[in-house]
Amino acid sequence: MTVALRRTALCVAAFALVATGCTTKPADSPSGGAPKDDASTGSSSGPVTLKDGSQVKLALIPGGAHPYFQPWKTTADTDKTDFKLGGVTFNETGEWDQGKQNNVISSLAAQGYNAFGIFGVSPTDINSTFEDLKAKGFAVGSLASCPAGDTNAADFCLSTDVEAAAYKAAKATIEAIGGQGTIVHLTGNNVDSNTQRRIAGVKKAVAETNGKVTELPVITDIDKDLSTAQKAVADLLASKGKEIKGIVTTAYNPAVAAADGVASSKLPIKVVAIDDDAKILSGIKSGGVAATVTQNPVGQAYVGGWLLALLQSKQCTMKTPGVIVDSGSFVVTKANVDTYDDERKAKTKTLQTDFEKQLSCQ
Amino acid sequence: MSAPVSETATQALQEDAPVEKPPRGTPWWANQRIGLLLLVVLLGALFGVLRPAFFNQQLVIFPLLRDIAMFTVVGLAQLCVLSIGHMNLAVGRMAAFSMMITGISYDLFHLTLYSGLLVGLVAGTAIGALAGWVIARTGVNSFVVTLALDFLLLGMIPLVYTSLTDNAAFVVKPPGMRELRNYSLADVCVGNVCGSPAVPQLALFAVVAMVVVGWIYSRTRLGRELLMTGSSVRAAELSGIPTARRVITAHAMSGCLAALAGFMLAVSTGSIKATIGEEFMLPSFLGPILGGTLLAGGFVSIWGTLIGTALTSVIRKGLDLLGVGLESLNIYLGLILLVALSTDRVRTLLSDRSVLGGPPLTSPPPPKREGEPR
Repeated sequence: MTVALRRTALCVAAFALVATGCTTKPADSPSGGAPKDDASTGSSSGPVTLKDGSQVKLALIPGGAHPYFQPWKTTADTDKTDFKLGGVTFNETGEWDQGKQNNVISSLAAQGYNAFGIFGVSPTDINSTFEDLKAKGFAVGSLASCPAGDTNAADFCLSTDVEAAAYKAAKATIEAIGGQGTIVHLTGNNVDSNTQRRIAGVKKAVAETNGKVTELPVITDIDKDLSTAQKAVADLLASKGKEIKGIVTTAYNPAVAAADGVASSKLPIKVVAIDDDAKILSGIKSGGVAATVTQNPVGQAYVGGWLLALLQSKQCTMKTPGVIVDSGSFVVTKANVDTYDDERKAKTKTLQTDFEKQLSCQ
Repeated sequence: MSAPVSETATQALQEDAPVEKPPRGTPWWANQRIGLLLLVVLLGALFGVLRPAFFNQQLVIFPLLRDIAMFTVVGLAQLCVLSIGHMNLAVGRMAAFSMMITGISYDLFHLTLYSGLLVGLVAGTAIGALAGWVIARTGVNSFVVTLALDFLLLGMIPLVYTSLTDNAAFVVKPPGMRELRNYSLADVCVGNVCGSPAVPQLALFAVVAMVVVGWIYSRTRLGRELLMTGSSVRAAELSGIPTARRVITAHAMSGCLAALAGFMLAVSTGSIKATIGEEFMLPSFLGPILGGTLLAGGFVSIWGTLIGTALTSVIRKGLDLLGVGLESLNIYLGLILLVALSTDRVRTLLSDRSVLGGPPLTSPPPPKREGEPR
């Protein structure tokens, strides 16, 4: 039967090769290459209104499931209604694996989606994915994270400047502890370029104190899930709780775990969190959390969707492809906890104005 | 290309022992690999009917075949140690370690694409051989040794990356890497006739790996000795097989193939980073086991590994295209696999019944051999 199986397998392999088909080399045609951009170069003034978004199918694709991206889901529907798009989808099945995310993207492209707002799992790999999509004529925006290095192969990047946000968070922590003492930084995946940028942002703020503030070794790789973060926080408080005056967190799960852990230990530690989870906001109101640095996921999805629709409908082109725009980060304390969202909405409006300067439209 | 262990140690060591015929009367459809192959084809056809985009060569078939090729090599890496009844829990981290060495060779020594690959393969072989040597010398279970090695590498690799790179990745792309990622057989032409645009050139690495591993297990003394060691270490030792060396060989082969899979992943995603191989461990078992390779050792199936890998990849791609959400994707994947394996069991039972109920055999069937897949 082994021999029969081998023959069958060879036949199937041969059939598969034939079924996928051979091709004939066309005369004088390149094998790939990006399509020519045929948009006009007229400069825009004032708000740009999308003329016809019916041919645009927008896909917003995070790296995987995470509370940060949940606003993208509802904002995608808002994009569809406001800009009368042909279709929208939100797909979080990438499972934080670049290979799986690439598969999700290509499957969506095969189903007719032609404008992609992507949070790349791997900042060092995502440019290859962007290049593939651009070569096939799709509009691509890097949302919530920019590729590592100096090059952005997407049409634009609309993201929190993570180093600046971490710097703000560290400054807020230093201010909360009165300008001197020991702080510790809790963050996510150490082998992620964004984490390295966050670490650099915190170190920069600490260095500016000229030794008045010292930083314990950074605790990384605890954003996998809440229980991992809770365990790390419990260990930290048990071993060095009395030494620490402030905790700065630049990832979601460590932020929630630190807020909870410090509250239950009753240690006089100032916690500066990230994002605006309900637990964190209530911690700010009760005084258990000194501050939080919120980002702008709604602005990223709304403005990103608008921009992608303009680009894919060929109404506009980017004057400088690959431009990077900060979507904003906002320090929230007890003083502005009820009004910070107004500031965020205002930033979203100015983002559209900022991008209009980057567009050439018909 | 499957290689069962021979009936006795002496037979196992005879290079040109005649191929033993299967018992007559067993229907062709009772073969596990043929059943899986039919299942893959049927599922492919079903997904194609539900979503015609499934047959899109550029956007679906090309990345699907690239994935199948890579995970087949991952499966072969595990198959090598399964053949001796061992496990390699560090298969992913061996890929990461090898690619770290390859990344250093590209970044610091500016090696060419294939020279760097060769360095990575050597590094993978070395780390695999080290695992095998520890197992052979200490007699500690492979599960424990490779798990310990996994932890060791888990700590070491990020340290090296953070000290040598800015972004925890080697982003230097030697000439040819970008092309290897995107080129298909359509870029390989003989005269005016070119290959299929649906078949990635990267898949050729998997073909080469399958041919080499298949040849070793079905045609060489080394392969038979490995299977014999997996079937019964004591019997192998009594037959004069240097089992300790075979353990080292199997783990070295596993490390080498893990390195190749890591290279394929690095090429297909775009850079060499510390997280390469994190997703390798479960698929490394899934492909070979679905395809009939025995966990206990003594029997391997190279074609089965390919088909088992293809089954899971096709299901996942089909579910992606059907727009199944995250909350239910893994449930459907698990359910379909369960149904597939149950169908396989039902088919085996039907086959046994048809053999028993059929006309008497001209000669009594040989006894079930140890290690024969059921």
